[in-house]
Amino acid sequence: MRMANSMRRIAMMLRVLVLAVLAGAGLSGEAAAHAALTGTDPVDGAVLAAPPPRLALTFSEPVSPIALRLIGPDGAATALDRYSLRDRTLEIAAPDGLADGTHVLSWRVISEDGHPVGGALVFSIGAPSAAAPIVADAGDPAARAGLWAARVALYVGLFVGVGGVFGRLWLGGDAGPGRAALLGVLGLGAAGTVLSAGLQGLDTLGAGLAALASPAVWSAGLGTSFGRTVVLALAALALAAVALIRGAGRLALGLGATAALLAAGSLGASGHASAASPGWLMRSMVVVHAAGILVWIGALPPLAATLRAGPATARPALARFSAVIPVVVAAIVGAGTVLAVVQVEAPAALTATDYGRVFLVKLALLAPLFALAGWNRWRLTRPALAGRTAETRRLRRIVVAEILLAAAILGVAATWRFTPPPRALAIADAAPAAIHIHTARAMVDLSLTPGRAGRVDVAAGLMTGDFGPLDAKEVTFVFALPAAGIEPIRRRAAKGADALWRAADVTLPLGGAWTVRVDILISDFEIVRVTGEIPLRN
Amino acid sequence: MSKTLFTAALVAAGTLVAGTLGATAHVSLEVQEAPVGSTYKATFRVPHGCEGKPTNVVRVQIPDGVIAVKPQPKAGWTLEKLRGDYGKTYDYYGTPTSEGVKEVVWSGGNLGDDEYDEFVLRGFLTTDLKPGDTLHFAVVQECPEGLAERWIEVPAAGQSADDLELPAPGVKLLEKTGGH
Repeated sequence: MRMANSMRRIAMMLRVLVLAVLAGAGLSGEAAAHAALTGTDPVDGAVLAAPPPRLALTFSEPVSPIALRLIGPDGAATALDRYSLRDRTLEIAAPDGLADGTHVLSWRVISEDGHPVGGALVFSIGAPSAAAPIVADAGDPAARAGLWAARVALYVGLFVGVGGVFGRLWLGGDAGPGRAALLGVLGLGAAGTVLSAGLQGLDTLGAGLAALASPAVWSAGLGTSFGRTVVLALAALALAAVALIRGAGRLALGLGATAALLAAGSLGASGHASAASPGWLMRSMVVVHAAGILVWIGALPPLAATLRAGPATARPALARFSAVIPVVVAAIVGAGTVLAVVQVEAPAALTATDYGRVFLVKLALLAPLFALAGWNRWRLTRPALAGRTAETRRLRRIVVAEILLAAAILGVAATWRFTPPPRALAIADAAPAAIHIHTARAMVDLSLTPGRAGRVDVAAGLMTGDFGPLDAKEVTFVFALPAAGIEPIRRRAAKGADALWRAADVTLPLGGAWTVRVDILISDFEIVRVTGEIPLRN
Repeated sequence: MSKTLFTAALVAAGTLVAGTLGATAHVSLEVQEAPVGSTYKATFRVPHGCEGKPTNVVRVQIPDGVIAVKPQPKAGWTLEKLRGDYGKTYDYYGTPTSEGVKEVVWSGGNLGDDEYDEFVLRGFLTTDLKPGDTLHFAVVQECPEGLAERWIEVPAAGQSADDLELPAPGVKLLEKTGGH
């Protein structure tokens, strides 16, 4: 016990020493050994009237970029690879057609000393987005796991459930067993869809699973574009259930087909592929891709079921399936290729980003799936149609294997929900911490970017207590974390062209509730100090 | 043992931080009490420069209620008297006075960080000032490279000058003494 205590003290002591050194380094104002960002264009926090043609970062020494990403108001990240280096300034060509709202330029560069340095620059076009593009930081793992599982259930419900109902009707009425199973899958899909809305809300708000009961969480989830997906998916699942219960006939087939279209449409209604531009193209590609998968994957279980009954029974279904599926698969591959090209952009991103890596895993699973499908088609379908039992049995086994592979692919594709990880990370990186201090004499809106321990850029807008302009002569930020025994770290701010007072690269070494004091020198003889508390993430 | 080390580390951290904030000896007034309705000789004691740099300029803002200010010239310093409207008319021994020196600037000098000097002015403390209050003179020391020490903070209600980082030197006002 005593041992543990003294160990703790030693650890604390080391921490204090490190902090003292850090504080000293921060205060000395000397250029650190690594490249430091000395200026940006537009300046951090700027609100621009029009999209900037270029973005510029100026450093204290020459640098070369490692990763440059622009995160748009919709949260989608774009890799920026058109840039030029001029002396110590990195000029980046901005993508065309930047949307109005808040963008985050997340940058990581390597300086001559080989040390990578990263940061983020936040600017807005037109006006800042109501909610900055903030995806939860790492988020609650349980909530994220739940979100993934709910997403898989949603996919299974749509592709296997709705697709299965459609396949069953299309391949041959209600031949074969599996009605109860399909209803179960539809129910699972409905549960997954509904749950996704709440979990999406948790993710949007960065809340933990415990908050799932809160109505705010649900309205946040439904308030995103995902709300449309939820409504359409539920409609698709319900229609499919009606079609399934109805059994056979043209009405049932019509209902099934409508359900399939709604299901595909629901997937096109949200997600980052749908958010990429050109919107109409990407959305329709998502719908085509999803509809194709739905028809193909959905048809597999009913097909397997009919194949079990033997070649004679299965013949009409197999004939229909093999007549249509090549076209469907071509549509899936075609649309998928367009989506991949637009989303991945550069081949390097395949390995460099999580999105790309998920895509590679998916491709790795697709290869055997296509191989099996090809084997079925070119080796087994004809003998099976000809009534050969052995081939029919083998065909059925392979179809089952295809179903398993397809399920794995759905599981992998559901992780795409999180592939904003490069972007979620960048955004968590970039999300500022902010505070509003209002006193009778002065009002300060202060932000720390990024809002986590480490090097932060401080920006403050000043107004008088009654919302008038406040023209300061000098502004100094003083940060302290009394709880951790950190004495005030003070930084003189400089006034930017946008009238914001900034101090770049202030090192706040620990997370916690920092006290920030803003000393506003109004004239040579008049100073106003305001104090507030700002939370900093670790 | 480790507790001692911990304390030592804390002290080290404190010193490191405090060291960079500059020493805390303030500009102060030699005579710290004066009756209203009389002429007061304000002697500002300047104990050091800014963060090791010499002081080149000393500026004193004349608070409201202090009129008829005359600074004392200093060898080696250029004296400047910035005049302005008082915003009201005071009675200065029967003479209506509405305008006068609002700021005194001694500039062009070179007072080393390791040297001491005094800057003097005199002025009339009008009876508009309230006995019992403390009258504050805001003082700015300017040094090369844009550095400055500003002794300009006035304690708010319930605060004392000790609570302030940059307290303006003050003089406690006393009741008017009878006659001249």
